[in-house]
Amino acid sequence: MTVDFIYNFLNDLLPGFLGNDLLLILAMLLPFFALFGFITIYGFGVIYAELKVSSFIQDKTGPMGQGYGFHAGKWGLLQPVADGLHLFFKEDIIPATADRPLFILAPFLIFIGMFVGIIAIPFGEAIIISDMNIGIFYILGIGSLAVIALILAGWSSNNKWALYGGMRSAAQIISYEIPAGLSLIVVILLASSLSMQEIISYQSGGIFNWIIFDNPFMPIAFIIFFISALAETNRTPFDLPESESELVAGFVTEYSGARYAFFFLSEYVNMFVISAVAATAFLGGWQSPFPNFLNTPAWSVFWMISKAFFLVFVMIWVRWTVPRLRVDQLMHLCWKVFIPIGLFNIFGVSIWTVLRG
Amino acid sequence: MVKYFADIYNSTTAILSGMYLTINHLFRAKKGIATLQYPEERWPRPERTIGFEHGSYNVIRSRLHVDIDDCIGCLKCERACPVDCIKIETEKSPNRGEDIKDINHIGITSNSTKKALVVTRFDIDMSECCYCNLCTYPCPEECIFMTGGPNESRHSIDYEFSEPERTDLIYHFSKPGTKDGLQEMLNNREAEA
Repeated sequence: MTVDFIYNFLNDLLPGFLGNDLLLILAMLLPFFALFGFITIYGFGVIYAELKVSSFIQDKTGPMGQGYGFHAGKWGLLQPVADGLHLFFKEDIIPATADRPLFILAPFLIFIGMFVGIIAIPFGEAIIISDMNIGIFYILGIGSLAVIALILAGWSSNNKWALYGGMRSAAQIISYEIPAGLSLIVVILLASSLSMQEIISYQSGGIFNWIIFDNPFMPIAFIIFFISALAETNRTPFDLPESESELVAGFVTEYSGARYAFFFLSEYVNMFVISAVAATAFLGGWQSPFPNFLNTPAWSVFWMISKAFFLVFVMIWVRWTVPRLRVDQLMHLCWKVFIPIGLFNIFGVSIWTVLRG
Repeated sequence: MVKYFADIYNSTTAILSGMYLTINHLFRAKKGIATLQYPEERWPRPERTIGFEHGSYNVIRSRLHVDIDDCIGCLKCERACPVDCIKIETEKSPNRGEDIKDINHIGITSNSTKKALVVTRFDIDMSECCYCNLCTYPCPEECIFMTGGPNESRHSIDYEFSEPERTDLIYHFSKPGTKDGLQEMLNNREAEA
């Protein structure tokens, strides 16, 4: 479902109806709006899931609506809508001493970083906005754009807590890029391609052909990638940049209203992107777990989204189980545990590929 | 080196056991919910067993209540109040001990005392009340009392009186429209005469 495909489809459908340039812009806007709608619906869904899962884990009911008056609907289904409205109608405060242009730029930059990450995620054999031959590399690179936005937010707020949060996030994200990259290199070694579609086609033919079951090193690589990716999203147990008990709210301390909502939403979108990459690289992407069964394009969207949502659920589950790491523990985990094991993994998988031929 | 792998093993098992615990709580959420949807659902009030008969247990002072039909407007409670949270205004009744239908005034109390006054205002500010119970003793008709305890039969206990506005804590016990209704009725009578 690339732009070319939509362009050709529209051209066949309405020959000579619109100018070519206009048609091209239309073909570009269609996936954009589809993506935007998906992100909005996903955002509402995942925020509701987060509220409910966290409440159930803590033996509470979460948002509920009963009886008469202003309530959040049946089972609190309207709670995310209420949260969104609340954030967007709040007063937008920019501190007097803040660096105004950078302060305004930061939330948009982080949102763009997350948003453009999705375009390389395949939802089916033809359902991908841009099928790049370096897809996985592109997502890793775009994901690092968040560092710039977070440092920008921390610095421009002109607040010591925000600056601490920005610096911590920079240290954390740059460190955890390495084990994430190392464990993806293992996948690239096996699939011998950087393209998302070719990585998936390597795993075709049922659950036992998925890369996670390919050889004994792969589950370790998957766990390392998943935990490193979790650290890159700045979620608990790796939420040191916004740890509310030490730094008031980290880099979002001075943000309010819609700008805060952008940070909030981009965290959840980032969760989805990372889960989708993990699903693509290790869990067979849009492939069905049964060989030659339920493998039509519609089912492929279902498999991709359900795999990604399962990993998002695991992220929520981990968040409400594990307490926050200390800064030195965080760095210890990255540099002394994940990177040596990741390097050993590359070595082992290389030997394995050579021996297996 | 052994310690390194032992640490990895220990932390992995610790995290997995924690996650097992939380997923258990997640899946038995239907049964194990510990909270209530408060305004709609409430915990049942426990039975009191403190060695007293329920009726003679006179310590409960949950909030003041006035049976306005029995009030004769003697102002004894207003004078007794140490914090002046009771405000009473009265008008002279046209005929002593006679019901006035227009304003739902009842002329004779349940102790068969004939009322000479119409209580047009009886406000108690429960945000100022100090729960000293001093106003209930002088009342000749026993119409002002603390709810609950020995008065359970007259008014059930009521201790959840939070309000969104502070002024909502001023309870108006006189019947609404008494003052205007009485004035209008007197004017009408003058016009007729």
